[in-house]
Amino acid sequence: MKQLKTKLWILACVLFVIGTPFLALGASYYEGKTLTIVVGYKPGGGYDRYARLLAKYLPKHLPGNPTVVIQNMPGANSIIGANHIYSVAKPDGLTIGTFNNALATAQLTKVEGVKFDLTKFAWLGSLASDAVIMVIRSDLPYKTVDDMRKAKEIVIGTTGPGSSTHDFPSILKEFTGLNFKLVPGYSSSADVMLAIERKEVDGRAGSYDSIKPFIDRGLVRPVIRNRISAPGIEKLPVDEELTKDPKGRAIMAVNAAPTKIYRPYVAPPGTPADVVKILRSAFVSVTKDTEFLAEAKKSKMTIDYALPEEALKVVREVLNQPPEMAQEIGKYIKFGE
Amino acid sequence: MLDAFVQGLLVVLQWQTFLVMLLGIVLGFWVGLLPGLGGSTTLALMLPFIYKMTPVEAFAFLLGMHSVVSTTGDITSVLFGVPGEGTTAATILDGHAMAKKGEAGRALGAALMSSLVGALVGAFALALAIPVVRPLVLTFGAPELFMLAVVGIAFISSLSGQGGRALLRGFLAGLLGLLIALVGQDPQAGVQRFTFSQLYLWGGLDLIPVLVGLFAVPEIVDLAVRGTSIAGELPQGNLGKGAWEGVKDTFRHFWLTIRCSLIGTFIGIIPGLGGGVAQWIAYGHAVQAARDSKEREGFGKGDVRGVLGPGAANNSKEGGALIPTIAFGVPGSSAMAILLGAFFLQGLAPGPDMLDKHLTLTFSMVWTMVIANIITVATSFFFLNQLAKLTLVRGAVLIPFILFLAFIGSYTSNNHLGDLIVFLFFGFLGYFMIRCNWPRAPLVLGFVLGKIAENNFYISTIRYGSSWLLRPVVLILVLLTLIVIVYPAIRLGKRRSAPSEKTA
Repeated sequence: MKQLKTKLWILACVLFVIGTPFLALGASYYEGKTLTIVVGYKPGGGYDRYARLLAKYLPKHLPGNPTVVIQNMPGANSIIGANHIYSVAKPDGLTIGTFNNALATAQLTKVEGVKFDLTKFAWLGSLASDAVIMVIRSDLPYKTVDDMRKAKEIVIGTTGPGSSTHDFPSILKEFTGLNFKLVPGYSSSADVMLAIERKEVDGRAGSYDSIKPFIDRGLVRPVIRNRISAPGIEKLPVDEELTKDPKGRAIMAVNAAPTKIYRPYVAPPGTPADVVKILRSAFVSVTKDTEFLAEAKKSKMTIDYALPEEALKVVREVLNQPPEMAQEIGKYIKFGE
Repeated sequence: MLDAFVQGLLVVLQWQTFLVMLLGIVLGFWVGLLPGLGGSTTLALMLPFIYKMTPVEAFAFLLGMHSVVSTTGDITSVLFGVPGEGTTAATILDGHAMAKKGEAGRALGAALMSSLVGALVGAFALALAIPVVRPLVLTFGAPELFMLAVVGIAFISSLSGQGGRALLRGFLAGLLGLLIALVGQDPQAGVQRFTFSQLYLWGGLDLIPVLVGLFAVPEIVDLAVRGTSIAGELPQGNLGKGAWEGVKDTFRHFWLTIRCSLIGTFIGIIPGLGGGVAQWIAYGHAVQAARDSKEREGFGKGDVRGVLGPGAANNSKEGGALIPTIAFGVPGSSAMAILLGAFFLQGLAPGPDMLDKHLTLTFSMVWTMVIANIITVATSFFFLNQLAKLTLVRGAVLIPFILFLAFIGSYTSNNHLGDLIVFLFFGFLGYFMIRCNWPRAPLVLGFVLGKIAENNFYISTIRYGSSWLLRPVVLILVLLTLIVIVYPAIRLGKRRSAPSEKTA
């Protein structure tokens, strides 16, 4: 604790010397205040765990050392939380939020209930990217995509439309001609994993991070990935390369794009520019904090920070699809709880 | 394996681990007591704190907290008729009725003792199941899960009360429950059902606001209308038999308690059935223990067996739920899903390793559950009879407190106004159901089992066509369903024919 206090004092002195007006705003701004991070999901899930880790380390990177607390606002796959940050939360820098990365697709396909415009948020960046992969049970004979094409039927378990477990295989099935039989209805991806172990289904899709322990255990083998690469799966065939249909490729690209900003953080639209600047630099410095990174690593949370400009670029890439494309995408990428 | 068993105990008794477990117990005590604040949510909130602990300490803390929650949740259910936890709602039916008769102490004693027995059985099962758990869990696929849901629904017949009319009402209530479970997005095609364009309803109705509304509001209204204390039906001011009587009851009906513990453990082991189910099936089973129609009538009005069943089951299922979590990394309940996060935080991978390399840690978890429950029950006993005196306090003083707890409890579900609206809606529904003599237990059972039944039926049909109907375990479960439906009728029939034979 004492070392921390000393560090903080040194930081304050250095900042004072470098930029007084900047500091004058910051130190008086967050001093004695509370910063709330709104999380669009219940406690315990991935988004919540990232937010809580952030809440632990963010204070010392914000001048004034405010208390950072979490407010869970679950519902409608984080649309409720996003709506709240967009129109209800005060744009004074004391509230920021995180929500589902796929909300860009929700906005594009005009999902009912979406009351926000992602481009108007004050973006703070994304803590991690994520690769979506498809895995098959190890004891099955298919080792490559060509093997899989020869198969009569491969049973893929999913948790229902609107999740990566479902959308990824359903798009693959439509455009690459692989003979997938989708079995939706499992209540969680862990249940699909158990179904694989039971030989009830042959494979599943999902986030690389969460499937990795099972690959390491030898239960499943990765076969296809989306365009986001990660250590260990770089050599896998990419879904876009498996089809020649330009429509299919475009849909896969739009499906994959948001996973680059898998853990997005924003401040409400209208937050004053200098406050946004403070928040942004806090994010940059916390993601370089060695203690933060160590604890994240131990908790198996990868940190791969994307700058606000990159995040906004990804969002715009998704939202700038022409309306016919949006309609097509809406057919394959449904939005769900 | 035997030395891991002993090592597990020694490791828990080390003073750092013990202290941290005590901390967990204190936390869990209050979490269970307060309605709405769930064990799962608290587990999630505690995760960041275990970062610096060793694996044994971390799990002693988390499990110390969690295994106690179902025990103290029974206390709130009995005293106030408000479910302290989603898994302790069934205890309200007879437990609170006993409190109204002035037997709160006895009900509390029975609830706590049966909770302890249940926890011990669950922990024991966890220890014993380790060699056989993998084949057991792997046998239960979607078709078997669907049949288990059907067996559960068949218990509605036991929960419905006597006579053709009551049975009809029970089944209608169960169907209403199934209908309510439909709300939300269907998992097969992504179509919104009954959501009335409300984002809040996308995920369906949450269990806590529904339960708290259904049970708490009628009790509160009843209390307000009566104008007396909770133990209003008591002729004079003295309380009836105390906690010790409740303990004796647990042993008087020992085999019932054990059977219900086993039911709870089994339901906990099968991932996918969730926490709400075990207590109702145990309650249904306890009702079946009634020997004649007069005893049947007594259930819901204060039969101690209606407290023993759910009290045991909601604790034993925790031990059961730990089994698939440790052995497969597949959570047996929502709390276990969060505990999995703890595994990863500690750098452990659930799976065969836990039953092999880390066997001592696994056994330390078993011992934590045992010791935590023993400590909680022992401590609670000191002031159970004092707690029971709360039922003598005037309703007017208690109502604001209970109402406050009920509102806050519902709100913690989603931190959304919708929670309160659901709470009030089901409050009204519950009140009218009581006035018109419709049983509420079947509605809850239908609600809890609806999604499980629908999803697994769909998965079974897509995956296997119609051949799943002929799987051996499925056929056994069909038989079980028939037995569950027909057994009470046979038993009553026998009783009725026996006296008439004598007179003939």
